[in-house]
Amino acid sequence: MAVTEAPLVEPEVAPDVRGPTAPLPATILGLGIAAFAIVVAGVLISQVNYGLSDRVLTQSCIDQDVAPTDNGAVGVCNIVEALADPVTTWSLMIGIGIGAVAIVLGLATYRRMDSKRRRDHAVTGAIMGVHAITLAVALLWFRSGTPALFTKHFLNFADLEGYGGAFLLGARNTLLLAFLGELGGVIIGLVLGMLSLSQRGAVRAPARMYINFFRGTPLIWQLVAGYFVLLFGFQIRLSAFVAATIVFALNTGAYAAEVFRAGIQSIERGQMEAARSLGMSYLEAMRYAIVPQAVRRVIPPLMNEFVILIKDTALVIALGLTASEYDILTTAKEGQAATFNFTFFTVAAIAYLVVTLPLIRLVNAAEKRLRSGLVGIAGAAG
Amino acid sequence: MIQPPAAEGDHLVRLEDVHKWFGNHHVLKGVNLTMHQRDVLVVIGPSGSGKSTLLRCVNMLEIPTRGRVWFEGQDITDIRCDLNEVRTHIGLVFQAFNLFPHMTALRNITVALERVLKLPSAYAKARATEQLERVGMAHKAQAFPGQLSGGQQQRVAIARALAMQPKLMLFDEVTSALDPELVGEVLEVMIRLAGDGMTMMVVTHEMGFAREVGTKMLFMDEGVVVEEGEPREMFYRPTSDRLRQFLAKVL
Repeated sequence: MAVTEAPLVEPEVAPDVRGPTAPLPATILGLGIAAFAIVVAGVLISQVNYGLSDRVLTQSCIDQDVAPTDNGAVGVCNIVEALADPVTTWSLMIGIGIGAVAIVLGLATYRRMDSKRRRDHAVTGAIMGVHAITLAVALLWFRSGTPALFTKHFLNFADLEGYGGAFLLGARNTLLLAFLGELGGVIIGLVLGMLSLSQRGAVRAPARMYINFFRGTPLIWQLVAGYFVLLFGFQIRLSAFVAATIVFALNTGAYAAEVFRAGIQSIERGQMEAARSLGMSYLEAMRYAIVPQAVRRVIPPLMNEFVILIKDTALVIALGLTASEYDILTTAKEGQAATFNFTFFTVAAIAYLVVTLPLIRLVNAAEKRLRSGLVGIAGAAG
Repeated sequence: MIQPPAAEGDHLVRLEDVHKWFGNHHVLKGVNLTMHQRDVLVVIGPSGSGKSTLLRCVNMLEIPTRGRVWFEGQDITDIRCDLNEVRTHIGLVFQAFNLFPHMTALRNITVALERVLKLPSAYAKARATEQLERVGMAHKAQAFPGQLSGGQQQRVAIARALAMQPKLMLFDEVTSALDPELVGEVLEVMIRLAGDGMTMMVVTHEMGFAREVGTKMLFMDEGVVVEEGEPREMFYRPTSDRLRQFLAKVL
């Protein structure tokens, strides 16, 4: 078949309707960042300035129920007075102003930018302006109320002196609870996950019942019931720490079982068929072909479970731990009870974050690595 | 290259009235077939005609809903039959290769030799290497499947099946997932295998292979064997309309 030649037609040039290119994308981005930086810097400079110089308790602090006899009263007052300092005030105002300019310019011009990169600059500049204004307004609102009262209760770190070791021990115990619980849970979960995949209903049923029970009742109920049932029902006196570890393992086992089940089911059917066609039994196929692949796939979700468990270990607060067993939250509660200073809970949150944030990053990295398919090759030396 | 069929009577495989339902879907509607030593049985037919299901019934990867399958005179549809043992004598090569991605090419082969046949590791390695050489893949023994091309993976898969020293090899559309330029290297291995006298059942869309290498051919459509006979004969003188139409489409 001959190719018919298309007649040559002079293509009509479409009129350029894009309009003039908007100017100043980098300036808008700069304005947005500057607005935010001015707000943050102004606040920090005042805070550091007040923190480093000798100050006294002001009348406004005393009016807000900060007594001269309170431990750390001057420190609390410094934070509040620094917020009211002209440097802070001016930086907040200037930040709001520049932020508003960035928003207006950015939104007005981003559609007329001539490259993706410049458009992103304009939009990001506007967004940074929004952040600057939001932060500045929040601080203005905060200092217009009773900031001294808030600071006295939640940001008064004076009472925490001497509790560093206690929090370190608490962090160790929290991690120990979570780690032992996860370890036991993974073992229980692998077995239960395999059972719940059985063809036989009689094998599946008890596994499902276990999983449903532990997923369907509150963890705190399991903790309390586990501890007191053993104690009063069977006269078994376990330390609260040990009892809690067992309950965490049992509970995590149910969730890990679902993770393993999903992981095993995610392996292509052909893998099982290939193994069986080589004469392997079902269990041999699982052991040599399926589970080693599934294990790699379940590492990120299991690490995710671990992060969740770290936070859930705080529920041991419901059981009576002895002092050497205190976890982070119990440490905070004891400190708060002794001093009536809620700043202990602020520190507890920070302590949990110090532990969990790196792990969350690790989970994300592992997921990314898995999605890129590298694990199948790299982790396979055995 | 084509071996004469062995004497009547010593059939390796016999299927009798094999039916398979997937739910309400009647995939195999009473298939009978016999294979002798050194047969190269080629199964052709449109997709969805039940060819792959039939092949998978031969090693009981699909269990027939009705009917009997004999292998070496043993009724392997009998519930008391040790299928794991039977399957060590039947090699299966898949369309999707199904190599174990977490093992090297060599380990893919030795794992079954060591765990199923209980061969000592050194002996298993020697046997695996020998089979890798046979398919021209010895230089990639330490590579992982993800590092190999489709054709190379399929050759390793063939070596994996061969290392078990099976009495029968099943090929389930083994070139269908390959890029066109990689089909040749796999077919070449299969042609050599047939020349060595291996008994083979080959489900394929490679009509050239079917005609040149097959000693016997089945044409399936809608779960039944429509026509069977000598491949050249069937290609040149199809007796049924359905085969004629099929050949008109694929040739």
